[in-house]
Formats: sequence, C-alpha cells, structure tokens
Amino acid sequence: MNTASTTITMSINGREVSGNAEPRTHLADFLREELLLTGTHLGCEQGVCGACTLMVDGRQVRSCLTLAVSCEKAEIETVEGYNRDPLMAEIRDAFKRHHGLQCGYCTPGMLAAVYDLIRRHPEADEDIIRRQLSGNLCRCTGYAGIVEAVKDVLAGNTPEATVTPGPRAFIPITEAKPATGGEESGEVVRLETGSSLSDLPSRAQLSEGIELIRSLDLDVSSDAIWQILKDPQKVVSCIPGASLTSQTDHNLIHGVCKVAVGPMAATFRGSAEVSTNDEALSGNVIGKGKDRLSRSILEGCLDYSVSANDNGGSSIKIKMLYRLSGPLSQFGRPAIVEEIADQLLKQIGVSLVEAATGKTTASNSHNSVGGISILLKSLLNILKKRFDRKL
Amino acid sequence: MKAAAFDFSRASDINELTALKEGEKFVAGNQSLGPMMNLRLVRANRLVDIATLPALRKANEHSNHVEFGAAVTHAEIEDGETPDPANGWMKKAAANIAHRAVRNRGTIGGSLAHADPAADWVIVLTGLDAKVALIGPDGERKVNIEDFITGPYTTVLKENEFIASVEVPKRPTSACWGYWKFMRQVGEFAKASATVLIDQENGFYRCALGALEGPPLVLPRPLDIIEGDLGPKKAVEDALSVRKIASYDMHVAALERALEQAKEGLRL
Repeated sequence: MNTASTTITMSINGREVSGNAEPRTHLADFLREELLLTGTHLGCEQGVCGACTLMVDGRQVRSCLTLAVSCEKAEIETVEGYNRDPLMAEIRDAFKRHHGLQCGYCTPGMLAAVYDLIRRHPEADEDIIRRQLSGNLCRCTGYAGIVEAVKDVLAGNTPEATVTPGPRAFIPITEAKPATGGEESGEVVRLETGSSLSDLPSRAQLSEGIELIRSLDLDVSSDAIWQILKDPQKVVSCIPGASLTSQTDHNLIHGVCKVAVGPMAATFRGSAEVSTNDEALSGNVIGKGKDRLSRSILEGCLDYSVSANDNGGSSIKIKMLYRLSGPLSQFGRPAIVEEIADQLLKQIGVSLVEAATGKTTASNSHNSVGGISILLKSLLNILKKRFDRKL
Repeated sequence: MKAAAFDFSRASDINELTALKEGEKFVAGNQSLGPMMNLRLVRANRLVDIATLPALRKANEHSNHVEFGAAVTHAEIEDGETPDPANGWMKKAAANIAHRAVRNRGTIGGSLAHADPAADWVIVLTGLDAKVALIGPDGERKVNIEDFITGPYTTVLKENEFIASVEVPKRPTSACWGYWKFMRQVGEFAKASATVLIDQENGFYRCALGALEGPPLVLPRPLDIIEGDLGPKKAVEDALSVRKIASYDMHVAALERALEQAKEGLRL
C-alpha cells in the first residue's frame, strides 16, 4: 500500500522538530528512525513491556501505541531531554547509586514512569512504588535497586518537576491523506501442497494443551450422522468459513478456515490427518494450521464419537486438545475459545442435521463467521479434522 | 511488529462519524486497537481519530446520572477531573486499569466498544447499571449495559454506529460497593472479577461477574446473595450452568470478596 507520508511538527525536548511519517508509524519509530533519537527503546511493541514509555504533553504514554500523526503540535520529552531538570537529575543519580539499571534496556521507559510516579505520589511507600512501576518490565535488577532509588529521591528534598501535564490539546481538524486500499488484505492463497504427516503434531506434544469437551445432541439417527461425519468433504461443508483445498492419501486433508472475532480476522491454512472407525462410529483428527498474517499457529487433536440417544436421535461427543501460539494466543484465552466453539458448534449442528436429512446444506458458506474465532478454528479442525485451523 | 499501512484522518464533526466506509475504523486512545494492529491481527484502510472530538470529550452531571463522553480517558476519571456519580468508586476502578501510561490515552468508550470480557469498565459499568448512548445514521439510541456486549469483542454496535457517551446513575452516599478482580500480575487483564452494589435508598441491588468467556453476567436474586440467603457459590453455580463454564472457583472467590467489601461499607 502506498500510504503517503505526511510532515509532522512537534516539540521534542523543547525544540520544534519536523519529520515525515506514514500514518501507521508510531511515535517511537518516528523518533528513532526519522529523528535518530534512539534513546527511546522498543521492546514488545504491544504496550506490555513499558520500554518505550515517554512523556507526551507531560503525561507518560506508550510510544509504541501512540501514532506519530496524532502527536501534531504535541510536546514530547524523551530520555535525551530533561535538560537542566533537577528532578530527573536526581532520579538519574539515584539510579546510578542504587544500581537501578544494569543492561539499560528498560531504563528510558523506567525513568519516565518514575518521574511521573514521583510527581503524582510524593508520599509513595514501597507498595505504591511497585504498583505504579508494574507496567515497566526490568529483567536485570529484580526491581530492588529501582525501588530503592525511588525511595531515596522521595526521602530527600525532592525537587520540583519542570515537565508537567499540559491541558489536553484540541487540535483543529486536518483531513489527511487520500484513501488507499488495505495493504496485504488481498493475499494470494497458496495451497500448502507440501504438508506431510511429519508436520503434524503428535499427541504427546499436545498433552500440555488446553482441553475442551463438548457434546452435541441432534434429532437425526446416529447412522445418518455418521454418513456425514466419515466424509471430510461433507463435514467441512457444514463448518462456517471452512473449505477443503485438497485431500490426499492416508486421510491427509488440506484446507482453509476463516474466522473473525470482533475486529480480528484470521485465515488458517493447514493440514490434518483424519482417521475413522466405522464400527465404533468414532474418529479422530490431528492437525495444524497457520494464519500467515498474524503468524499464529493452531494445532490440536480431536476425538469424536457418535452414539444413539433415547429418542431416536444421536449425540456427538467431542474431546479436543489444542494449543494456540503466536500473537493470536494473547486474545484467545481458553474461556473465549470455549464461547466461540459453542457458537460454532450450534451452527455446525444445524448444518449437520440439514446435510443428514438431505436438505441443502445451508452453509456453503465460505464466508467467515463473526464471533467465532479462535476456538472456532480449533473446533473446525477438530471437526473436520483437517484443515487448517487457526486461530 | 509494525501495523500494516493505513490512512489516518481526524474527525472534525460528530456527523462525519456515521459515514464510515468499508474498512475504516474509529480510534481514540489506541490502547486496545494499537496492539492488535501492531500484531497485524487487525487491519484497517483508515483510522478516524475521534480522541479530540469536543462532542465526545464531555462529562456532564445531570440530576440522576453523570454522562461521560466516549473519549474521556481513564486517567481523567482517576484524577477526578470528571464529575463523580458514585462515591469515588469509578475513580478507584479507573486507577487500577492497566498502567498509568495506558490510562493516559485509553478511553471509557473505546474500552466498551472493544468489549474485552476481562476489561475493567465492562464489568464495573455493568455493576453500576450504566446505559450506553449510541449514535448511528438513524439517530440516537440508549442501550442498557447488560444488553450492549453480546460476546467476546462483540457488541450491538451496528455499521456506522458509535458510542457517544456512557450514563452512570448517581448513587447516594449510603450506597455500598465492592469490586474485586484477580490478576496474575498488577495491570494485567483480570482472570475473574465481580462487583456488588447495595443501594438501599433506591432499592437497587446488583451482583455481577466479569472476565467470563463472554459478556458480564448479572446474577439473579442479588438481594438474597447480599443477605446471605443464597451463598455465592450456589448463586454462581446456578447462573453459570447455562453458560457451561468449566471452572468458576476464582469467580466465586471474586464475588465473595466483592461482597465482603460492600458489606464492610454497610457497617460504617
């Protein structure tokens, strides 16, 4: 995508500075790459580690979660600044004396957080200090030296802070760049023809995974349901957002499953090995799928069995072990995955009954299912056994 | 990682907000959307910045409630820069959302729209019986908070609809409140949370659970729970059987502690 960059003007450490940034450029990258102010460090780029913390208009913010374009006319104070600021001078000195740093990676963010802490909590005790600094991770010091440094500054004659919160800016509207298409959204689908059984996880590898057990009661006889369940093609057609791309020997299936939850959307492509037992009306699937865009991987195994119930219907029992890794796993907490799986199962149940009773399968639907997501994928996998899964 | 490319514009008028095109998203604090965009879990053609829209940056006190504009930040509530509907309870809850650097930019409306089941405002505003005012192409509508969130990261917001404000009922000083959340680490999303509200003057009682798999759960028979006729464990068990949650020990414990906090207030 060709997103025009714009010129942004802001005050950095008391000097007015202009530079170019694309809309997606966050403040930390703008400072480091455009202005070569590399004192601001980037750790996680998702707001967790605190290394990039700095002051915007006198308030500490995560510069990795602050867009540079939203800082037009803002006053930025980075670790390179605080010139002649007596409070920061004292904090730095205390850090030095108390071994408040070792490798120095967290230090720029830690100093900003400490500065703000001292301003807002002049009476802070150790508990408050530790709580207020909980958003800044340090892997060297064990925090003891940092806490001591803060206590030391607070115990003395703490100097006045010269960097203070300004009024929140109301910026006159500027209409930015011309619209461009969504980059990379039209990714070309490549089939993963190279998958082999050896790429699939083993049960032992999944033993530490998360377990999900569900059952689904259907108003269709167990034999009729089994006719569908033993055929991966038919099962996949009952799963919203899923499609098979190919089926090779030894029940190895390749496929795609699209899932969307809230603002997140993922397309899992992968493979699964399906085995079924016609006599026991049971089967299992082991599979693995990857969402290329988010680099997240879903792998799992699914055991399922069909039994007749008392009223002429049937029930499908499902036991799944899954593991989600990569960025998506941060939003795919087990409880959320369960909710998604339940929503998905409901839709799959309806489709299975339709398929078994000869009605048109409602879901030829290769559209992704809102609200289902991570779990879904996993379920899908399970169900289908095959295809990829993902999220 | 870096976000995929997008365009950016700053909304100048609230009327522009109901005319978003495909692939365009609102952004205010960017504290939830930002990580997802940086991880490329979310892509947008354009972000429309609403963080400084005056219409969303209000906090008005009315006779029975306080109206918080959607773009009011957690830190502004924490610092008492907004009117207080309920004995400082919101201030205290705000002060424990994530970390100060996040609170300085994150907004109350953004948190609700994002609808992470484990988020603070999602459970706290449910516990306080808030209403969410939405504006869309067809005008404004108000939705009770318990009807607003429908699933993980999913709300009743329609295309081109946005949160204008959140209305929180005022509570008398005699009312009592408890809010407990379990976190693995300070500032993280909750593993389990619960609120208890005892407003005898208005005859309003509410016990709610948060950080479930989906929306917060408003427990039936709150007065029985508060008066001890219905034990927290039984109450949660009865209510959750519908929701098929495997393990709820932490939620029961969160409810017990929130009850303790609220009853502590009663004795004073």
